[in-house]
Amino acid sequence: MKIRKQQIDEVLAIIIEEKEANLSKSEQFKELTLQEINNGHRKLIISFVNVDYLDSSFLGALVAILKSLLPLDGKLVLFGMNEDILNLFQITRLDKIFVLKMSLEEALKEF
Amino acid sequence: MNKRILLVDDDIVQLKLFEKLLSTNGYTCKIALSVDEAEQQLINEIPDLIISDYQMPVKNGFDFRKKLLGSDLYKSIPFLFLTSVNDDSFIQQGLDLKAIDYISKGTPSAQVLSKIDNLMQSVREHYERSLSEIKVIAEKLNLRNMPKTAPELKLFEIGYFNRSYQDHPGGDFIDFIKINERYTFVVLGDVMGKKWGAWFFSFSFLSYIRSAIRLCVFEGNFSLPEIMAKLNRVIHSDEILSDIFSTLSILLIDDEDGKIKYTGAGDLPLLKYELNKDTLTSYQSDGILLGFSANNTFNEIELELKAGEELYLISDGMIDFEVNGAIKSDLNLLKSKLHDLKHQGKSTIAIKESLFNKTKSQVDDCSIIILSKKNPHEDQKTTN
Repeated sequence: MKIRKQQIDEVLAIIIEEKEANLSKSEQFKELTLQEINNGHRKLIISFVNVDYLDSSFLGALVAILKSLLPLDGKLVLFGMNEDILNLFQITRLDKIFVLKMSLEEALKEF
Repeated sequence: MNKRILLVDDDIVQLKLFEKLLSTNGYTCKIALSVDEAEQQLINEIPDLIISDYQMPVKNGFDFRKKLLGSDLYKSIPFLFLTSVNDDSFIQQGLDLKAIDYISKGTPSAQVLSKIDNLMQSVREHYERSLSEIKVIAEKLNLRNMPKTAPELKLFEIGYFNRSYQDHPGGDFIDFIKINERYTFVVLGDVMGKKWGAWFFSFSFLSYIRSAIRLCVFEGNFSLPEIMAKLNRVIHSDEILSDIFSTLSILLIDDEDGKIKYTGAGDLPLLKYELNKDTLTSYQSDGILLGFSANNTFNEIELELKAGEELYLISDGMIDFEVNGAIKSDLNLLKSKLHDLKHQGKSTIAIKESLFNKTKSQVDDCSIIILSKKNPHEDQKTTN
């Protein structure tokens, strides 16, 4: 799972550097992100700028991360999804539970 | 796909020699000059095998191995120690750390290669044997997340089809719960994930769904939003399912007045082929994934079907397509395919055969339930 991390003030941005976010990467991504939450990060941004396709395993990992973060008063913002992925979030109502933004600038304004 | 090996050694010459030997013999190698570098490589990619030197400055191979054993993600990666130290106590220490074996740096190339080839073959055989044993046990226990047949109804016909990803049982599940001659529930769910992990949890979800429906119906409650809300609360409070999520679509068929009710949780829209308009219409439920929040609310949509019309419940694998080598999720593409098939007057079986064509690449479990209204005139003809 290729990711890059960037600390922007209090916000930790995790940039996914994979074209396909799928089963082979979902568990590792979940563990790595939960580790960051355990390390005290509460304000997270995840970038999908490089991602072309996202499967249900990876969606499940994202939901598990959000579910862990919310009771800790944390916040998660996703940005940079292509039209197909955005559409998938909308038709499965995940847009109701995730904060979705187009750019990093917009995502940062949420904090 | 080539097997991937992570090589860890502070001796760059040794690393390059190993990399050349392995990469010219079909392996894909990543190299790391220190344990820290190796840990960084592991974040990027989980290899099929790690070969690591014992003696390295700062953190040695034993430190590395101990750290891997403490991680659920990395502890099961096969691990070989590489050593130039012919000291039995070093070798024993490595083997005590659950390393599969060790390779001495002086070993001839052909022997190194044979050792690695044999190891990879043995890991693969072990995996396949375990898989086969689980399949046999599942079969014996009659564990199925797909029913054997669909119930016979007076006014409707139900067709359902499922193909699992790479022939492994998956997280899609289907159930039909016939309450009496009048009411039948149709259930389609998709546990987020693939293969065995999702398959295992599908039984927990199925049990809860069957219980929730049966308990509500015993109390005379046929309200889909209420059934779904109760089900969601129970699943939300189940600690084992705390980070496992499932979509769910439920239809309640009234086989006397011909009405159909639909509710869903995080599911893809229900599709309806409308005969008069010759279009496919989407009906979207407003529930979110089961178990995400205790107080999810759900809606109910009432539908009617005329003869010649069909309803389609689909799992997300049905909208994943591989186009020019790239995978994409595209509901409209599936709708367009379904519409073309219906427009050509294709039967349910023909639709299934077209959508589940084996030559098409598949990237996830695929399931579809097709509900059609029987043509009363055809019934009369059959009866006559």
